[in-house]
Amino acid sequence: MGMQRSYKCERVIERLHKKVNRQVVASLEACVHCGMCTDQCHYVLANPGDVTYMPSYKADKLRKFFKAHIDWTGRTFPWWVSARSLYTDQELEELKDTVFGKCTNCRRCSINCPMGVDMATFNRMARGLLVSVGVMPEGVAVVAKDQWEIGNQMGVLREDYIDTLTWMEEELQAEHNDPAIKIPIDKMDCDVVYSINPREVKYDPRTIADAALIFHVAGENWTMASEGWDMTNFGLFNGDDDLGGAVARRCYEATENLRGKKLVISECGHGYRSTRCEGQNWGQKDIPFAMESSVITMLRYIKEGRIKVDKTTNTEPVTYHDSCNNARSCGMTEEPRELLNLVCTDFREMHPNRAENFCCTGGGGAMSMSEYTPRRLKSAAVKAAQLKATGAKCVVTSCHNCVDGLTDLIRHYELGMKVTQLVNLVANALIIPERRHAAAVGGLEGYKILLADDEPDTLAYFETVLADHGAQVILATDGDEALDLARKEKPDLITLDLSMPGRDGGEVFEILRKDPVLSQTKVCIITGKPELRRLIYDRPVPPPEGYLTKPVSEDDLMLNVRKVLEHTHHES
Amino acid sequence: MDALYHLDTTSPLLQFAEDKLQIIALSFMALVYIFKVKWILSFKAGKERQAPTGNPRTTAQKGAVYSLFNIFMPWSMPSTRQHPFFYLQFGIFHVAVGTSIAMSIIIPYFPQLIANEAVIFALQVLFGLGCVIGLGRFIRRTVSPYIRAISTPDDYFSVALLTVWLAFAFMAAPNNRAETEFWLLGYFFLTAFFLFYVPFSKISHYIFYPFTRWYLGKTLGRRGVYPLPLNAGNEPLSRLFANTKPLEGK
Repeated sequence: MGMQRSYKCERVIERLHKKVNRQVVASLEACVHCGMCTDQCHYVLANPGDVTYMPSYKADKLRKFFKAHIDWTGRTFPWWVSARSLYTDQELEELKDTVFGKCTNCRRCSINCPMGVDMATFNRMARGLLVSVGVMPEGVAVVAKDQWEIGNQMGVLREDYIDTLTWMEEELQAEHNDPAIKIPIDKMDCDVVYSINPREVKYDPRTIADAALIFHVAGENWTMASEGWDMTNFGLFNGDDDLGGAVARRCYEATENLRGKKLVISECGHGYRSTRCEGQNWGQKDIPFAMESSVITMLRYIKEGRIKVDKTTNTEPVTYHDSCNNARSCGMTEEPRELLNLVCTDFREMHPNRAENFCCTGGGGAMSMSEYTPRRLKSAAVKAAQLKATGAKCVVTSCHNCVDGLTDLIRHYELGMKVTQLVNLVANALIIPERRHAAAVGGLEGYKILLADDEPDTLAYFETVLADHGAQVILATDGDEALDLARKEKPDLITLDLSMPGRDGGEVFEILRKDPVLSQTKVCIITGKPELRRLIYDRPVPPPEGYLTKPVSEDDLMLNVRKVLEHTHHES
Repeated sequence: MDALYHLDTTSPLLQFAEDKLQIIALSFMALVYIFKVKWILSFKAGKERQAPTGNPRTTAQKGAVYSLFNIFMPWSMPSTRQHPFFYLQFGIFHVAVGTSIAMSIIIPYFPQLIANEAVIFALQVLFGLGCVIGLGRFIRRTVSPYIRAISTPDDYFSVALLTVWLAFAFMAAPNNRAETEFWLLGYFFLTAFFLFYVPFSKISHYIFYPFTRWYLGKTLGRRGVYPLPLNAGNEPLSRLFANTKPLEGK
């Protein structure tokens, strides 16, 4: 009598037959188990001796299952080719651990396979099979749900999005004393519709301001859409083509509805790949407009003389990290370098680079899977070695996932580098009538701010910056002290570190939100552990008004604190 | 067959093994391959709707062609570049296998092509090296924990079969019927077995190779990745054959 198969396994098998196409079948059949892919994977290099990280071992998890159901030899003589079907939910969990937790779909093994086996593609397919029966890391489920329901993967509400754009517009106008600088929303018949990553709204609004400034100086006829503005696509990560298609269509339809001539995609590796290269295939949609990465747009502006730059404003030694999606799946390797050489005085290549670069380890949705963080950071030893060897002080990347992944590993390996994007460097090098002085954007007189952090240096730094701008600053070094001081002082804003002795930031945050007196107090999370975001956003209380990832520059701290104090309002 | 020569010195069993048996085995293999190709073509190929990206020197067609011939460019992939000796073994082994298959046709129908002693010597060097490499591959598959973890019975059997077959090819190459009929018989029976077995084993990877390579190349060509420039990782000479070592520490 055969083994009893679980309901989920039955569904996965049904779905497998529908999902495989010719490319995937050929890839699943062609592997000769030569092992040439082995030392091309960052997980393997960082975990010597652990065979479970081998690309072909990971691929075999799906291959065995495929052979058991689709391949003739596997169906007839399963033991001969180690074919094995899936029977239990536990096996699905093990498959989940492999395809989500031990691979970032970076495609480095694919381009290193002598047989041309595209392991990343069928790893994504395996993810999709699991997602179809609800087997996935919790973080993946949360992000996918937000993208399905709210329309963007970080659950940014329309109101907050518009507020942020308005705030950035006001900031730009104030900084440059120029009311003509606009961030247009839903303007019809523009030459450029600019789409962004919701991370920019939530954690990094400066990139929006920088892009807006560049568009303004270039004299571009541009706009942003009030709907369908998110060019990221979690469908790429969770393997769900339906989600991928729906998200891409939203973005395309927003551009069509505005009668835009070109969709410009901000710096995001997976967003660029999803929107530019995959979305039309997932969504089965042809589009009447062109699409372009903002990197290419900025380079074009300089070449066409629409903007002028002064590279001496960026003298720090910088290196460039190629996002896997940009380099190995979209062929965007030369434009960022050309641009970097135009806006920086000291650009140093990282080795290997371009299509042979190693993953930042934050790709494939890894930043949303906190359960795999220790593995991710361990595997990041390869990227850390690459970064360290450059001697650069700053790493530039055209991808928001890479920004988070690199920031995390730089902190973990104590490399003392900062991470930035090309848009920031171009904006900094931009020749405009007045230079920007973000830190001098205004005072904080009359505001009382409670800083909670267990690192004395961090507290001292934040205190100095905020006090210099006129705020009354109160300090707490652990969660309990923060709660006591909050009740006693009733500050206008509380900044919370997530990892603190005693009650952690997440607990303190929830208590504050549930406290009838303090529930309306504005909170800005400032953490060195971005993977813990979920611990805040999953709580059954309204989300914090602000969020920053350490290290925080003075400009970013001031911009975000002012935004929280002056522009945000509570979500109920 | 009329082309068969020295029938007078060839035993009926060897005549059968080198002629009819080979034809039957080859026909069988071809038939199964036809079914196999038909089977893979029965799966729908994915299509790309988007406009091409990347460098104008890259196109879907150029990418596909580059990808197909990528195996002959060991510099194009870190996996082959960093393991030149392994790549060399790969090359010799596959040339030996291909030559041995060719020899199974040459011996009965065009024996004059390998009548020269120098040619026989060259063949024996090639088969001998192939055999040693095959043995090495078998040992590697058994000893390396990485390769052992991914090996199936078919993997072990296939490499063992080819190794033994190359040993017989080595012995059969002189084609001396009076003295080496045992080896010739073994060689032809093994060839026939090989041809019957191949379509169901991993040895048939070459049937899938054009598909995987073509589609990967087409996709990456359209997306501006393939053909890769000569030194795709932009590696300095000092690092060209070295892999990145992880940072020591946490």
